[in-house]
Amino acid sequence: MNESVLPQKPQPKMTPGAEHYWQSATEEHFVLPQCEDCSEIFFYPRVWCPKCFSQNLSWYKASGKGKVYSFSVVHQAPFPSYKNDVPYVLAIIALQEGPHMMSNVINCDPQSVLVDMPVSVTFESRGEMKIPQFQPDN
Amino acid sequence: MLPFGNNKGEFRELMSNPVAIAAVSEMKPGRYPEKDGYALYIEVVRQFLSEWDIKPSDIQGLLACPSGMAAGGNADIFVHEQLYEELGIHPLYGDTMNAGGATYGLMIQRAALAIEQGIAESVLCVGAGKFPKVGTGGAESMARMVSHESFEFPYGTFIPAIYAQVATRHMHEYGTTAEQFAEVAVSTREWALKNPQAAMYDTEELSVAKVRESRPIATPFHLYDCSIPLEGGAAVLVTSANLAKKINPQPAYLLGAGEYHSHRSIHQAMDLMNMGCAEAGELAYKQAGLTPSDIQFAEIYDAFTVNPLVFMEGLGLCPKGKGGEAFQSGRTRPGGDLPINTYGGLLSFGHTGDASGMSMIVEGARQIMGIAGERQLERNDIGIVHSYGGMMSEHSTLILGK
Repeated sequence: MNESVLPQKPQPKMTPGAEHYWQSATEEHFVLPQCEDCSEIFFYPRVWCPKCFSQNLSWYKASGKGKVYSFSVVHQAPFPSYKNDVPYVLAIIALQEGPHMMSNVINCDPQSVLVDMPVSVTFESRGEMKIPQFQPDN
Repeated sequence: MLPFGNNKGEFRELMSNPVAIAAVSEMKPGRYPEKDGYALYIEVVRQFLSEWDIKPSDIQGLLACPSGMAAGGNADIFVHEQLYEELGIHPLYGDTMNAGGATYGLMIQRAALAIEQGIAESVLCVGAGKFPKVGTGGAESMARMVSHESFEFPYGTFIPAIYAQVATRHMHEYGTTAEQFAEVAVSTREWALKNPQAAMYDTEELSVAKVRESRPIATPFHLYDCSIPLEGGAAVLVTSANLAKKINPQPAYLLGAGEYHSHRSIHQAMDLMNMGCAEAGELAYKQAGLTPSDIQFAEIYDAFTVNPLVFMEGLGLCPKGKGGEAFQSGRTRPGGDLPINTYGGLLSFGHTGDASGMSMIVEGARQIMGIAGERQLERNDIGIVHSYGGMMSEHSTLILGK
């Protein structure tokens, strides 16, 4: 099937407190919100700290390193825009800084992905934006 | 240690207003193209009224769930108003509420609170739902509905692949095998073959090999690791013990209940091996004055084969990590000492979309009432019913007994 006829993959919806996260990702920087009062580094970005409710937040330049916490190799495309992607890896990444986040594991054979595999951030274009993605280290 | 002894009768006497499930009814899951969500609701109530001798004065409260959610949009959020008008009653208590698959467990809990408070003596809980057929765009709308739209959905989330990650983690932490997940489907099918109301009643036994040979969906899951999307619904009448005894010689008493709300987006659950089931279960055990060893059977929400493992462990019905062995050993099948999902589960009875959380409650009550037909358990004094909504997000545990 010609890729050009497939609909576009979903773009992130802008949510309160996350504007800088997506702006940074589009510039290929991976940042995480940090609470200035209790020092908690958290995910996902929002307008208050989920640990202490402080609204005094800043951005932490994250390592972009993590491990695969869990994953699944998807064989049946959930929507038309993923038709040419199967099999692809849907994963939860445990970031080195502590929080977990959803991602794909890309730029590798899906069958080679394992729990605890070290991964690092890369970026994938979605229209005008870029989204953080993870790939095996080295 | 616990506030009450192990004697369930003693506990009921201690409760100021004991509450029971007096009557239950459920449609056979199937495809009902001639009925929209509302017509399904009417059919559920019609069947309920034809199966039980219920007078209008027996329904003082009414709880329903929005219809049409799983079918993608246009959810009707005024179901309870329409139903009480159709019934011609004027309830003292009512709402249309939603907590996904936990809706009905929480409905029973809300109804019990209203009855205990004296707001109403009886509450009819009703649900009807349609689960879209595979390949009709349902996967996308449902993935969007259950995923964080910004931080999950853009990664191509897919409900089976979300649960599959729970399975992958279980394999990693405890050495559980894909074959052990398949055993859940095999055990559950055995029960469905004893239930004429189950969608898979007229089929044949499954085997681990058949499950593993069915087409791959999202590792480690194959097709038969997933529940069957269908349509249907059920009604449950929760009443005071006094009223229950007038309706049913053996009501299913609510001995204890617990709820716990953990997360919405699956990546926010830091421990995929317990996402709130243990907390809800502990509250239910505490209220009932019972422990896991008192439980004789379990009805557990099984959208996928990994669920019963994680939840039987969370509820303390087997040691952590040993759920796979429990299913493999045959303990959960007909004749086993820990029967689980005795009606065939969502895996083989059928998953009725918005109404799916009803099926395990109806079966739990039927087993206690002694009206479960060929699959009736001999040890049916105390059973546990666990349901959850979202991506194992919010949990309801009910302990039912004689």
